[in-house]
Amino acid sequence: MTKKTRYFMAGSSAVLGVGLCAGLVAFYAGGFEALSAAPVASELRYVPADSTVIAYADVRSIMDSDLRTQLKAAIPMHEQGQEEFRTQTGIDIERDIDYIVAAGATGNTQAPLAGGLVVARGRFNDTQLEALAREHGGQVEEYKGKRMIHSQASESGHQMTLAFLEPGLVAIGTKTTVQRAIDAQLTSHSITANSEMMAIVAEIASNNNAWAVGRFDAIAAQANLPTEIASRMPPVKWFSAAGHVNGGITGTLRAEATDEASADLLRRQVSGVLALGEMVAKSDPTAGALIKSLQMSGTGKTVALSFALPAEVLALIPQMAGAHQQQIQ
Amino acid sequence: MMEPTTAMEPKTALAPRTPPPAPGYLTSSLRVMDLSIGEMLWSRRTVFMLLIVGAPVLIALILRALVSLGAPVLNGPNNIRMTGPGIFGLMIWIFYLRFTVPVLGVFYGTSLIADEVEDKTITYLFSRPIPRGAVLVGKYLAYLVSTIFVVLPSVMLVYLLVVPIQGSLGGSFLDLVKDLALLALGLSVYGAVFAFIGAKFKRPLLIGLVFIFGWEQVAIVLPGYLKYFTVAYYIQGLVPHAMPNDGAMSLIQNMLRETPSLATALLGLAVVWAVSLALATRVVERREYVLEQ
Repeated sequence: MTKKTRYFMAGSSAVLGVGLCAGLVAFYAGGFEALSAAPVASELRYVPADSTVIAYADVRSIMDSDLRTQLKAAIPMHEQGQEEFRTQTGIDIERDIDYIVAAGATGNTQAPLAGGLVVARGRFNDTQLEALAREHGGQVEEYKGKRMIHSQASESGHQMTLAFLEPGLVAIGTKTTVQRAIDAQLTSHSITANSEMMAIVAEIASNNNAWAVGRFDAIAAQANLPTEIASRMPPVKWFSAAGHVNGGITGTLRAEATDEASADLLRRQVSGVLALGEMVAKSDPTAGALIKSLQMSGTGKTVALSFALPAEVLALIPQMAGAHQQQIQ
Repeated sequence: MMEPTTAMEPKTALAPRTPPPAPGYLTSSLRVMDLSIGEMLWSRRTVFMLLIVGAPVLIALILRALVSLGAPVLNGPNNIRMTGPGIFGLMIWIFYLRFTVPVLGVFYGTSLIADEVEDKTITYLFSRPIPRGAVLVGKYLAYLVSTIFVVLPSVMLVYLLVVPIQGSLGGSFLDLVKDLALLALGLSVYGAVFAFIGAKFKRPLLIGLVFIFGWEQVAIVLPGYLKYFTVAYYIQGLVPHAMPNDGAMSLIQNMLRETPSLATALLGLAVVWAVSLALATRVVERREYVLEQ
């Protein structure tokens, strides 16, 4: 065998070896997510694998959107709470946070994810945050190499924990949820291993600045719905809501039924609700515009309802609210 | 007392030299393989092979670039959105299983002996003290190594480029391993079949092309037992991806599709491979190749 042939075979083997190793690592770690989910990939690694709902909001783009500017001008907002949060934590929601990922799980007797978990990406002054927490009676603790700040327990016994996960990344939740988030990342046993949920995330994350995905059946089971409603609801496995906020709001609500017959039933129910809405909204131009923007779609097990609310329609909402307030007065 | 002999004394008789023992079948095959790999890899045929396996990589690269730039290339008909793993599955079917594997099998398999005959170099190989069958087996092994080392890295590059588009590398890893094994199996079985055709018939390339683009395409969609006499029937039964509906033949095949079980498919392929290779070596050992002047 000549040297040229040997080099060629070594090159081929290297390509095969690198690809197989990458695939194997991804297979065991549950990582290497979809391209479009990449912006939140590192945050999702902190979300425990048993979470039934995950949500994302691009705080930066929503805060800077034309819609918020218009709404802020039309409706006076209560900024006292925001200011209080800034004084207590040192975090300015408008400027310091880029985006957040929130997660929650339904009751699990073994390890409850009570209160949910929020992972926020932004610019945080660790020293200032820690000093502020100490001023307010907080305690600082280290857990598996991550610094955690526990707030003082309230009268009802609630205690919040903030952990510095990485530079510019914090987790907020109860002590248990934050510890489980750190464990999820360290053991690679995170929500990223849930390929079904990740596929939906990958699909909706690319064009929306706010979205949520969840296991509908798990949440409905915990929601203590009245038997009459629960028995008539078609079996839905996954739901997702995704929207893009800028001048207006465009979004899609999607449900994945367990089978095609259930999806057909759900489609009929949604059509009925839309027809009823159109009838009711005949005398109300704002509601009429809202109802007309609703479009049902989806094939097979998927039922989707998309909507687009232009800025003009949204501008009517504060006027309606004002008129309603005058009527009350 | 013996008289001492000196170095100057001329030798009166030379001891008869015994020739070294002829190498065994396996050693001979490996030696022929070692000689043939370089010849196969650096021939004009390799340019053709690189074009065949390079096309899917180029397409994957373009697709990845378009997706990164935000082009709506993933929106399929009927509001169906394609995902990376789905596209990878389609590429395995259309580019590799239906085209690359059988075509490389034909071009390389039929030329194992035919090239030596055409170049009039077969005499040199057959005059060596090695079994004639070992020449064919060695060349067959060289074909396998050459094609596997070109086709599988191409599949790997397509996997790394395409699967992360709305999919995950980890989620498709097991399918990739199955695909790689299946392609290697396909190359070995098609290679054995065409090695026999190349050793037995006068116009092996033509017969090979008729076999893959004529016989296999028709027999696999016909109801009845004819499909059992194709390689594609057993290979397609092992593919971990859904069969694409990309034409009338695919539609008919999907409607009449009868998928063999894993054991049946593996057994079928093993039988075809063993019988073809045994027949090919038998033909090479018995046939008198007359070189045209």
